[in-house]
Parts: sequence; structure tokens; C-alpha cells
Amino acid sequence: MPTVLAMADFDLPTRSASGFLLRYIAPRVEPVQLLGILVRRLPFQLAAPQSDIIIGAGHGSEDTFTGQNEAVILEVGRYDPREVKDKVIKLLSCQCGVELCPDLVANGAACAMGYTDDYVWVMDSDLASTPWADKKFAGKCLMPVIDELNALLDGKSAREALDIELEGYSRNAEVEEDELVKACLEFNRSNAILRGNGGASIRARPQLSLPFRLIPPPPLLTPILRA
Amino acid sequence: MASSKEEWGRYQEALRRGDKEAAADAFRRYLEAKKAEGRGSSKPILVNLSSKAKDYPNAVPLEDIPRLMQEKPEFFELMKRVVTKEK
Repeated sequence: MPTVLAMADFDLPTRSASGFLLRYIAPRVEPVQLLGILVRRLPFQLAAPQSDIIIGAGHGSEDTFTGQNEAVILEVGRYDPREVKDKVIKLLSCQCGVELCPDLVANGAACAMGYTDDYVWVMDSDLASTPWADKKFAGKCLMPVIDELNALLDGKSAREALDIELEGYSRNAEVEEDELVKACLEFNRSNAILRGNGGASIRARPQLSLPFRLIPPPPLLTPILRA
Repeated sequence: MASSKEEWGRYQEALRRGDKEAAADAFRRYLEAKKAEGRGSSKPILVNLSSKAKDYPNAVPLEDIPRLMQEKPEFFELMKRVVTKEK
């Protein structure tokens, strides 16, 4: 069963978030992977009903999750329930936990994970073409999300996976010397939520094969909007 | 010069009081103290995945944080929530 992995990539935050998914999650899952200009409503609509898990990184608000250039992907009351029925959903986005995640569950999703406030982190803009190499800043916040997603892909339940993410934030915050990075870690931790069935899980995927564990993707050279 | 930790404490206090000017000054001093301690680094930027409906940008260079806190009320409130954990 395919995985829908939607990775918007048009400005610094989406480049950073999607970069980590591209490095650590994309090689592990079968298509359909939507990157950059493919993260639009129609490709999502076609791919989502066949998948058992939807993973998305993009901008969002309380009732909307968006893709490339903020094209609406999921909006409360404006999607077909078939797109989300029985699926485990993780949205790395701002505020979707307030209205959208409960709505996805009400429309049949097994569970939906998101955040009830902005998802904030510090990134090194010098590493925009290889965002996954930003271990000093972005990695502190985004690697717990990667660990959570890997746990889901290992077949662990949504609750177990979320706990792994939360523990990651706590562990990183404990040893973090940069006060702003630490504040971001604690903030994201306090806003991460799970709605629906915490016992939901998906078919386990094979571990990341050896070459991909060692070799990062080529640098991303497509232009992005700068701050 | 005070340490970055002390300046961070002053920044938190100013945010709690809702004092935009004092918070902006404290954050500037925090960045200076970090630089003096040799902990300033490449090009760190504060980013978020909020939709563009907000009145603040999605990517803010750290040196622009004080100005944005003074100019954009929603950004000030975001920093207050991030730093003080007060909703």
C-alpha cells in the first residue's frame, strides 16, 4: 500500500522541513511522493485514497493544510472522506491540530497528529540547499519528528510514535545551550497532539537500505523564496 | 557585560510584562552577549509553518526579531507564547 508523502518546498521553512523528510523518510517508503510543484490538490486527491499513511510538511492554519505555494491540500469540510478514511495522518504544519485534525478523525481517519500552535524552529539559512545537514539548529527540532515517523513506519502505534517525538524534544531541550532553540523545542513539545485512535498503526515498511543510510540526496538547487 | 543567560531572563520578564520595547532591547543584548561568548553562528533564522494569513513572516533572521516584535503585534504574541509558555 503506498505512502503519501507531501513535501512542499518553496521557502526556507518548507525547504528545511521537507529536506529532513527527503533525507530520512522518502528513501524508506514507496511512492506516492509529492515534492515541490507536485504538492497540489489534484495529485493528492488521486494518491490519498490508496494509501494507509499520509505524511505532510507544509504551511497550515487551524482549518487548512497547504502544499506548494500554499495550494490548499486539506481544508475542513472541503475534501472527500475517502481521502482520509482509516489512515494514519501526520501533518508537520502550524495549528492543524486545532480544527483540521479533529475533522479528519470525524471523517474516518484512524488518527491524525499535528500541532495546536505554530511549529517553530531555528534553521541555518546557509544550508538551504542541504537542509538535512543542519544538525546544529533545525535537526534539534526536526529529528524527533523523523524518529516519530520512522517509528510509525516500523509498525509502532501512533501513541508510541508520538511519545518518541515528545521524548526527543525533552532530551534535546535538556542538553541544549541555546535558549531560543530550547524554547522552540519546549513550545513544539507542548503543542504536539494526537486525535483519534492512539492504537492505530500501519503495515511496517522495510528499514532504510544501507546505501541511503550513508548517502544523502544531491543538493536541492531549485530556487526558494528568501526571508 | 551580562551573560546571554541573564539577558534571556530579562527578555522573558519583558515578554511577560508585555513590554515590547524592553523585550526588543533585551533580545538585542542577548544576541550581542551570545556573540561575545563565541556562540553566535552562521546564519540562524527563526522559521515557522504558519500560513501567510498572519501579519509576520515565516522566516525571520534573529537580528530582525527585536524590530518585528515592536512592529507586529501577532509576532510579539508568538514570541511571548514560545518563550514564556503563557497562552
